[in-house]
Amino acid sequence: MIDLLKAEILKVRSTRTALGLLIAALLIAVVPTILAVLLIPREELVQTEGGLIAVLGIMPAASLVPVLCLVFGILSMTNEYRHGTVSYTYLTTPRRGHVIVVKLLVCAVIGAAVMLVTGVLAVVTAGLGAELRGVDLGLTDVSQDANWEFLRDVALVLLTTGLATSFGVALGALIRHQVIAVAGTLIWALAVENIITGLKPSVGEWLPFTVFLQVVVNTGDVEAAGPSLSSLQAFAVAVAYIALASIAAVFITMRRDVT
Amino acid sequence: MAVIEVEHLTKRFGKVLAVDDVSFALQPGTITGFLGPNGAGKTTTLRMIVDLVHPTRGTTRVLGGPYRDLARPWTRVGSLLDASGFHPGRSGRNALRVVARASGIPETRVEECLDMVELTGAAKRAVKGYSTGMRQRLALGCVLLGDPEVLLLDEPGNGLDPEGIRWLRTFLRQRATEGKTVLVSSHVLAEVEQTVDDVLIISKGKLVAQGPIAELAVGTGAVVRCRTPQAERLQQLLVSRGAAVNRLDAALAIRGPSAAEVGQVALENGVVLHELLTEQPSLEDLFLQIAGTRREA
Repeated sequence: MIDLLKAEILKVRSTRTALGLLIAALLIAVVPTILAVLLIPREELVQTEGGLIAVLGIMPAASLVPVLCLVFGILSMTNEYRHGTVSYTYLTTPRRGHVIVVKLLVCAVIGAAVMLVTGVLAVVTAGLGAELRGVDLGLTDVSQDANWEFLRDVALVLLTTGLATSFGVALGALIRHQVIAVAGTLIWALAVENIITGLKPSVGEWLPFTVFLQVVVNTGDVEAAGPSLSSLQAFAVAVAYIALASIAAVFITMRRDVT
Repeated sequence: MAVIEVEHLTKRFGKVLAVDDVSFALQPGTITGFLGPNGAGKTTTLRMIVDLVHPTRGTTRVLGGPYRDLARPWTRVGSLLDASGFHPGRSGRNALRVVARASGIPETRVEECLDMVELTGAAKRAVKGYSTGMRQRLALGCVLLGDPEVLLLDEPGNGLDPEGIRWLRTFLRQRATEGKTVLVSSHVLAEVEQTVDDVLIISKGKLVAQGPIAELAVGTGAVVRCRTPQAERLQQLLVSRGAAVNRLDAALAIRGPSAAEVGQVALENGVVLHELLTEQPSLEDLFLQIAGTRREA
């Protein structure tokens, strides 16, 4: 398993997909933050002092980075089929279940790491930008007041992003065709679930991507409008979804022919 | 003990019977050609041997057991099943490093194999910049990483230019002298003719012949070729004696009598011969005859 883990890490390092993910995530997190800090009137910045980190820093990254990571997870699996590297992967490790498990782990760590880096960078950018405009966002106060709940929320966001990335791996193993997997997942996540949630919130709150969003969004002082699961409840449901998808991915992969 | 054993192997994809009750065994240190036209079932059979495709029926054993039970299988069995199976954005060196790492093979071996397939100079380049022949050589380098005792090569000559084909022959001969067991599939028979000890011939999913080329050639008969200014007369004489004769101007291709018998007939009838020789059937002749017989049946 250690050899396989090393090989999977090298796979990630030796192509530009992971680098592209990181750059895209940083842009998504940092650009809106910079724009907000520069364009929002100074008096409004002062009014939102203290709570701005959550709004400007974590929020944009928190809601979009998991989607990017999900796509990265899908690509990391479907690329194996698209480029035919899956043959070498299963020839060197015929126990296909091991391959899927290691991919799930590696992608989970990458997703969480990307979220951490982008979150930190967004907060730092917000702080520096505000300082340039002579506004104190209270970053120091927040770090001093960092309590169990704040740390728990951060941990949940990181874990959920990691799990969303793993979820992408499982989806990629189930739907091997890259375009169908990516497009289908995005259409489902960004359109279908929103429609269902809008029409029937009691059903929508249990759908997978809405659940992920609830973990990420329902943290801190910010509560989502529609769905109403708490972040911990949503996290538990997200874990259940990923467990199911992963088991299905292993099961299907072991029985599938590689032609 | 046979290195590879295949028993009653059958694979059905929906309504298509890709492989139909194929059985064979390969002995250690032999090079076996696995021959058949495109779509005959060669690749599916090879993929079933290494567990990439699950048989509908039958079993395969590699080095005494299922492929999936081998510890570090890439160090025991090297398989070239898809030369395009590299990520286009990954460098040639990294493509091999990924396989080496997954198999616990030291990185120094990657450089040795790149050198063996003459790709050291291109190792840093992304695979998408490689020609088809370079990708084929990279795949062969990948196969050699674990210095395996068994090689399964599916159409290794695909995309190689004449120089590459010659290189491939040398490559296979080297493996033979090292005592490796090689199963090499091809639909280009000239590619393997000078290299293989035995052949397996598959047609429409069924194994139609197997054994040493010389043994299989016995039943097919040699062709006697001769040139004579009296071709029509000699043709009549030979046909009247039961021979099958094809004539093109002054050239005759004769099946049935030996060259000595043809020469005797010519002498006795005052026919001048300018050329008389026996042509052993090529692997291609052999294949076409066996596969053709099978089709007619």
